[in-house]
Amino acid sequence: MPIELIIPLLAAAVQSGTPILYATLGEMITEKSGVLNLGVEGMMMIGALSAFWISLATGNPWLGFLMGGVCAAMLAAMHGLVCLGFQGNQVVSGLALTIFGVGLANYLGTPLVGTQGIGFSKVSLPVLADIPVLGAILFHQDVLVYLSFALPVLIWAFFRYTRLGLHLRSVGENPVAAATAGLNVIGLRWLGVLLGGFLVGLGGAYLSLAYIHLWTNGLTAGRGWIAVALVIFAFWRPGRAVFGAYLFGGVMAFQLRLQAMGTDIPASILMMLPYALTILVLIASTMTGRGGEAPAALAVNMEPEE
Amino acid sequence: MRLIRVTKRTEPLGWGSVLVFCAALGLSLSLACAALAVQGVAPLRALALLWEGGFGSVWSLEDSLRKAIPIYLCALGVSFTFRMQIWNIGAEGQFALGAIGAAWAVLTFPHLSAVALLPLMMLSAGAAGAFWALIPALTKVRLGVNEIISTLMLNYIGILLLNYLVYGPWRDPGGRGFPMTMEYPAAAQIGMLGGTRLHWGLVLCVVLSVLAWLFLNKTRLGYEIRASGESLRTARYAFMPYGFLVFLVMGICGMLAGWAGFVETSAVAHRLQPSILVGYGYTAIVVAWVARLKIGPMALAAFLLAGLRVGVEVLQLELRVPAAFGHILEGLVLLTVLAGQFFHYYRLRLEWPGQRAEGR
Amino acid sequence: MKRGVLSMLVAGLAVLALMMVPVAVAAKEIKAGFIYVSPVGDAGWSRAHDDGRRAIEALDGVETTFVESVSEGPDSERVLLNMARRGHNLIFATSFGFMDSVIKVAAQFPDVVFMHCSGYKLAENVGTYFGRMYQPRYLSGMVAGAMTESNILGYVAAFPIPEVIRGINAFTLGAQAVNPDVQVRVVWSSTWYDPALEKEAANSLLDVGADVIAMHQDSPGPQVAAQERGVYSIGYNTDMSAFAPDAHLTAPIWNWSVVYKDVVQQVKDGTWASESIWWGLDRELVGLAPFGPMVPQDIQEAVLAKKEEIRSGETDVFIGPVLDQQGEVRIPEGVRATDEEMLAMDWFVQGVVGATR
Repeated sequence: MPIELIIPLLAAAVQSGTPILYATLGEMITEKSGVLNLGVEGMMMIGALSAFWISLATGNPWLGFLMGGVCAAMLAAMHGLVCLGFQGNQVVSGLALTIFGVGLANYLGTPLVGTQGIGFSKVSLPVLADIPVLGAILFHQDVLVYLSFALPVLIWAFFRYTRLGLHLRSVGENPVAAATAGLNVIGLRWLGVLLGGFLVGLGGAYLSLAYIHLWTNGLTAGRGWIAVALVIFAFWRPGRAVFGAYLFGGVMAFQLRLQAMGTDIPASILMMLPYALTILVLIASTMTGRGGEAPAALAVNMEPEE
Repeated sequence: MRLIRVTKRTEPLGWGSVLVFCAALGLSLSLACAALAVQGVAPLRALALLWEGGFGSVWSLEDSLRKAIPIYLCALGVSFTFRMQIWNIGAEGQFALGAIGAAWAVLTFPHLSAVALLPLMMLSAGAAGAFWALIPALTKVRLGVNEIISTLMLNYIGILLLNYLVYGPWRDPGGRGFPMTMEYPAAAQIGMLGGTRLHWGLVLCVVLSVLAWLFLNKTRLGYEIRASGESLRTARYAFMPYGFLVFLVMGICGMLAGWAGFVETSAVAHRLQPSILVGYGYTAIVVAWVARLKIGPMALAAFLLAGLRVGVEVLQLELRVPAAFGHILEGLVLLTVLAGQFFHYYRLRLEWPGQRAEGR
Repeated sequence: MKRGVLSMLVAGLAVLALMMVPVAVAAKEIKAGFIYVSPVGDAGWSRAHDDGRRAIEALDGVETTFVESVSEGPDSERVLLNMARRGHNLIFATSFGFMDSVIKVAAQFPDVVFMHCSGYKLAENVGTYFGRMYQPRYLSGMVAGAMTESNILGYVAAFPIPEVIRGINAFTLGAQAVNPDVQVRVVWSSTWYDPALEKEAANSLLDVGADVIAMHQDSPGPQVAAQERGVYSIGYNTDMSAFAPDAHLTAPIWNWSVVYKDVVQQVKDGTWASESIWWGLDRELVGLAPFGPMVPQDIQEAVLAKKEEIRSGETDVFIGPVLDQQGEVRIPEGVRATDEEMLAMDWFVQGVVGATR
């Protein structure tokens, strides 16, 4: 593949990886606190719709972006209520949340179909954009991409160096011990659910505000599920989430470019590439011992009176 | 200090659970009705239509049962893996592979009689589904790869494989280039039960349910599956190695989901086409857990969920309620029923402040 | 017993609620049901059909209903059955995959008229209808061929089915008619509406040098890509210029109301008989969206002149010699392709770069 194709390919990898990256990091925070929320797809849809709607209504895309996260966090609160309040099974609650969220977004969003929205366009960063190769790949993007560069570092530092981050991790690893040590397990898990939902919603908002400035039914088209998979792929580490999201986006962009250049390989076989490669890379990193364990108490509810 | 105290029930709630279920259902239905009323739809008429469309007539009962069959088969399958805490969400891909396996038998031996062809289809469908499930089992046991991600990715790949076949080598030469295999000959079609719209797949469900129950409750192996699900430590001391049990439950799940694909293509669609995949493999996960992995409740849950989806179509037809409303309703019902299950295990007691000196 | 009382109560309330609805003055004669494969909010295919449905609903004596997001598999059979059971006398099945279900259900309800879009199976009470979309596709190809500077046109397409392949071929022939050096590159997105992915597919074509993007999907994703990169685009389904005001040259569009109005009238009059309707520009079932201001006058005139020739039947799109990708003659000199050949088209004409599966 010629170099003048590789640079736009990698730039496309970054852009198409970004909504998945936000969502992956969000789900990662939730899972670190010991709660599995399979409602990512539903929360992304709600995030995408509310961001689109609110920025259109107020003319302020930043407000829309923020509210995309807030509304998704409100949806996540339903998961929190069912699982943390009522001890409901986290798998079913998450799946139900996806069904509900996707339905609600499509229901409320129908009048907005065909409306042109406002949002973020690409802004080259001064100086950085002039770096050869890297500048063209990383610094000719929109503001929300730049924001997403900072997130993994922040989340990594949060879990490693702050008390709150440590507490959050400990309720995900051993809630009984955490409770004995005087931590408010349910409260911390609520924090994980809401904060995670917020970030997932930002991923949805990225789609409707920056990737493409419009709303249609089923806008997220399964990206939420990819995020669920990438949390595991990343072994619950923010750095590897970046790798996973860009890898997935990059392989998808690659197979499209392969077609554009002309190939005889059937499209359905090419479409398998991103999924197959995700598994293969995961197998490779597990075998070379770079694997990591899930939070020990993931998807296990903390029983009251324990 | 709390006014409401939560205590664990010593005995799970018996018939009271029916009451809780109804209360949860009532809550979600009234929420949905309120949403409809805001839109100017008569809520009582909507409820009546929902009932009539899903359960209220012979027709709708037939339709709902028919739709429940593949969901139930997949749910039965995934329940085996969930009993062992294997987070297999791959029923959708295994369903696709089962349909592919059945189609392979039909396309390879189109002239066999039904007596030979149907069992062969069942065999190849079960084998193909099991094969697809054994890949993640292998990577889990031998390489330690998390099964959530491998089963999910294999769902996408299985569906794309089906697409590849019907767009490519298996495309019906008389089908004007559309993505589907030829229509199955009569010998490859599962028959109907009497004069109804129900097919023999329903009987298969009943037989498999009995077998599954016997296996889980009356055999040593079944006992070990249940025991190792409760604690990994028990599994380590089990009669059979843990890895073997993982292969076994994954294989069973793949086979059952594969049979769901076989039944759906052979009895209903009469050919292999991409649109047989409508997410039953994911619905099955919901059904299995809502029914807490018990066989009878799973059948009931599959039927109720199928009926709800069938009923919503009538709601669309008569009241112009958008399809998305059905998803809202379904999500609400699941969330409330799930929250309601809390009361199976716990009771709430009102307490006055100061009644317990230590407070909490 | 108790349940009986309850259901009577519910039924009674329902009747009461019904009685509050004002009774229409004219007796409804036609009850037409529509079944859609995607939500009407998809901004594309189902939306275009629903516009047609609303046009006939405005007619006297016509009542319409619809069910959206029906999978083309077994679910569609049940929905069709329910429509027939509930007293519909005319049913429009608007997607190819409903074909088997339509034939099965129609056999049980001989008094109901079924119209199936884009299929090929007929029965006593089943007719089919479709539009010669390849005609406006050809015209849009002429516009694209005239406007390109790189001589590479990009085509983002959903799935390799005959309808889509036929459209790509017609588009290519149109472009070649005004610009023999032109090349059409095809990328399959394998989706009908995933706007973000379809936009990315368009970007991949722009990266290999395409400077006009055409599309066959239900989302305006590729339009947005063209607008952002400052190149031209050709829409589809409906006028998509709102999404890409600086890029949108024109679009081949559907106008389903033409066929719906006609069928309703025939069923009303009792003159309906099973047939395969395949109308084109002549009946205005298909058309061309208004040209964007960037299309020069002489190109507009040339395209409109060609449109008139096709409309009058003087010429058509697939007239030999037409070669395929390998250079073999598929349609010999001077021969018009039959409808049969066009409907089953599974090969690309020379000048298309891409795989047909």
